[in-house]
Amino acid sequence: MSLLALDNVSVSFGGVAAVRAATMRVEAGEIRGLIGPNGAGKTSLINAITGIVRPDSGSIAFAEQPITALPPDLISARGIGRTFQHVELFRDETVLDNVLTGLYSHHVYGVAAAIVGFGRARQVEADARREAAALLEAFELAPLAGAPVRDLPFGIQKRVDLARALAVRPRMLLLDEPISGMSEAEADAAVATIRALARERDITLLVVEHNMRVMMRLAARITVMHQGGIIAEGTPGEIRGNRLVVDAYLGDKDDHA
Amino acid sequence: MRLSHVLIAIAAAPAVALPLFGSSYQIYLAELILINVVAAIGLNLLTGNCGQISLCHASLMAIGAYTTALLTTRFAVTYALALPAGIVVTTLLGASLGYPARRLSGLYLALVTLGFLEVVSIVIEEFPDLTGGVRGLKLAKLEFAGWPLNAGALYYFVLGVTVLAIRAGWGLQHSRYGRAFDTVRQSVIVAQALAIPPARTKLLAFSIAAAFAGLAGGLFTAVVGFIDPTEFDISASLRQITFIAVGGLGSVWGSVVGAVVLTLLPETLRGAKEYSDVVYGVILLGALVLAPKGIVGSLALLLGRFHGGKARLP
Repeated sequence: MSLLALDNVSVSFGGVAAVRAATMRVEAGEIRGLIGPNGAGKTSLINAITGIVRPDSGSIAFAEQPITALPPDLISARGIGRTFQHVELFRDETVLDNVLTGLYSHHVYGVAAAIVGFGRARQVEADARREAAALLEAFELAPLAGAPVRDLPFGIQKRVDLARALAVRPRMLLLDEPISGMSEAEADAAVATIRALARERDITLLVVEHNMRVMMRLAARITVMHQGGIIAEGTPGEIRGNRLVVDAYLGDKDDHA
Repeated sequence: MRLSHVLIAIAAAPAVALPLFGSSYQIYLAELILINVVAAIGLNLLTGNCGQISLCHASLMAIGAYTTALLTTRFAVTYALALPAGIVVTTLLGASLGYPARRLSGLYLALVTLGFLEVVSIVIEEFPDLTGGVRGLKLAKLEFAGWPLNAGALYYFVLGVTVLAIRAGWGLQHSRYGRAFDTVRQSVIVAQALAIPPARTKLLAFSIAAAFAGLAGGLFTAVVGFIDPTEFDISASLRQITFIAVGGLGSVWGSVVGAVVLTLLPETLRGAKEYSDVVYGVILLGALVLAPKGIVGSLALLLGRFHGGKARLP
């Protein structure tokens, strides 16, 4: 069975269809690319999967459980994480505090324990800090743990965003343009990091990305959206040769493909 | 010993020694300051950390004050039980306000809390047989589980409770709940992506703020010995907002500093007589313009060993 299954998912905003009857399957362990020109409905699809917008029709299942009507925080708790296109970090907080925020649902103690501050709360907090420190280590952010995010270059903020998303311990991670705004060298490093991450932590990835060169190297399979619908799916090689895709997307001179 | 420990010791020493050298008025004023600190800590968790504006914090304080007062006078309950009972009642009422308000924010929330403030003051005024109405409620000398609360004992009791409240506020702020509050304030969508339930988090913030307000109200009853609805009107709520805004939003020490400074300020402005309100207003405005992160936030930036308005005190 597929880890993520979308069946005839449609999303519209005030009568304008953003996603039209999208059906797709993502298998566990896969790195799936999601491409399409601007306005193709990629972000709307991600918002539907994460519960931020409710589909008008269709159904979404994750690990064989329906999640279509769940609120976003419960969908995250089920194991679907995400990063944001325009890094939504807490700029005034430190790198460590940003990552700690992601540990909310896994390092649990009650309000009374928090008020008292000793005993269980202290012990769990210490665990949380250890886990956060390990994540910072994995993303080579450890020396920056105490630095406020706002002072960091964009490429590093992207890494913080990724580390925070992983703190929620997702089984599947939706990456919305993970390398946008990065230099070529940073992008290559990020691709290596993302691949390693998927392999070592056994996380299934759905990656939205404009940069075709990167996508061809990263994804084993690619799903193509155009005008709200899914028009093709296949290996990077197949997608490159697909007539519809070339017309809709790769042939588009305005895009930085 | 860290600098922050030294600073706290310097600030705490006169507070502990006050009954030895202070006049009864100075002790009374210090008690009011401590009560304001307790109320401000609760409001700051709700508004500064969780980003929910509340105009009815004074009403919640009123609920704590009246519950404690009624239990001790009408039902002869000892203060040792009446105070926690006041906290429980206030928390429950705060939660029942927070439940419908948990999906609101900004202006709508401000209006709902303003409505709550009105309802509470109407209830107090319309049931004079129970609450004393607009004429207020006079209290007999309190006893604490059999012990009479004389001036010195009461002061140390209020001081001790305030220290515990500071500790509790600090613990909450630096817990997973404090981080959840900060997250919900900054972005509901990110909170959800991190498996933090925004509505439940806001409800919790409301309940916690109410608990602190209830405690402050219960202490107020004991200290002042007379309560009437004007003590808990909209201007009291607004004053509490200025405490946290001037002291530092989202910081327990900001609540402490704001409540201390702004409770003392009108006292020190007595010399300015009829201009004292103007001077108070100018100082308030100046503080907000010059130190938008509050006194603690600005000090933190100056000292350079703090980050973004969130004090790293112990």
